[in-house]
Amino acid sequence: MNTPRAWLASVAAALAVAVAPLAAQPSAEQPVPRTANGKPDLSGIWVATGAILLFEGQEAFAAARAADAAAGRPAGNTNETPPYKPEAEAQRQYYLSRQGIDDPMARCLLTGVPRINFRPLPFEIVQLPDRVIMLYEIHHAFRIIPTDGRPHPEDAEPSYLGESVGRWDGDTLVIDVTSFNTNTWLTGVGTIHTEDLRVTERYTRDSFDTIRYEVTMEDPAVLTRPWTLRETFRLRPGERIREYECIESNEDLQRFERLLQESRATERAR
Amino acid sequence: MRRLAVLLMLGLCVFVTRLAAAHHSFAAYFDGQKAVTLTGEVVSVEWTNPHFHFSVDVEDADGVVARWRFEGFPPNMLVRQGWRRDETLTAGATITVEGWAARSEPNAGAARWVTLPDGRKLAAGPPAGTGGR
Repeated sequence: MNTPRAWLASVAAALAVAVAPLAAQPSAEQPVPRTANGKPDLSGIWVATGAILLFEGQEAFAAARAADAAAGRPAGNTNETPPYKPEAEAQRQYYLSRQGIDDPMARCLLTGVPRINFRPLPFEIVQLPDRVIMLYEIHHAFRIIPTDGRPHPEDAEPSYLGESVGRWDGDTLVIDVTSFNTNTWLTGVGTIHTEDLRVTERYTRDSFDTIRYEVTMEDPAVLTRPWTLRETFRLRPGERIREYECIESNEDLQRFERLLQESRATERAR
Repeated sequence: MRRLAVLLMLGLCVFVTRLAAAHHSFAAYFDGQKAVTLTGEVVSVEWTNPHFHFSVDVEDADGVVARWRFEGFPPNMLVRQGWRRDETLTAGATITVEGWAARSEPNAGAARWVTLPDGRKLAAGPPAGTGGR
């Protein structure tokens, strides 16, 4: 301890101990990471704020919402009443009256965009120079989103997750999604759409720990106006994407079939 | 009366926790108003996707045993909550389950919390929800 080198080593060790707890905490003080081309790096494992309730409980969920309010992030509003035209709204009410037994997701069909982003399971964003890859734990689904300026493919078929192309608008990744089939709901029970649905997603990493997400759905055949939802995605340090399989022991298929038969019998009896 | 019950249920759906199960519509099968807390002996555990299930023999005051079957998180979420397959919940253990009963099927329920013999209380499934998202 009496040489300068030993003294330096002990100071370094003391500093390491002092700094370690700070480094372990995700901090809003940390700058938003950027890639070599200067764009914000969205890479990481994220989860919708609504899911914090399941991951960490009511207190942490409330704290996250409070932090959002303090930072001026819009409150998640994924449960607002959708602006449906009367006929589509009647259809939605019908599905609500059946308590969601028609839900395509309950039949293990791929969950569409944006609903998949709001599910209470994490997803990983892998940002590459020419594309962004989204790996969802739910259904083991993925999206590959070109960001090299190419247009939507000409041979796109209607699909569950649609066809995505991305571009940067300043520090915001904007993803244009088209070519949907009609086997998905937009968010909640009965939020139907047509094949003409166009979804515009905006991802802004506004702090080290958060992504502001804003999504606008346009479908003039069923919506009276573009419908915008907002949510904050939260970084999950130490998390990893695990397996989630939907068919193995899905008893809902039989249950819902039975409930459907009962409801048909009730309707006939009237 | 039945219509009133449906209306009450729909009204409840608006107010109960928005977050749904990872997979399905809670309200179609379970009743968020029929909260149950039961203590009994674990009979079997099915560590499966998209939900795990376990059966518990519950004895009432008259000594009559009913076999309840509960549903909960998929394995990915259970592990995040501290569960380990074949270790955490084992046949023969006496546990307390908090959750909700099924709407019509007897002795079936959705588990929210399980208290283990060592006193640990682990989340076993999501809060009552509507499948609203």
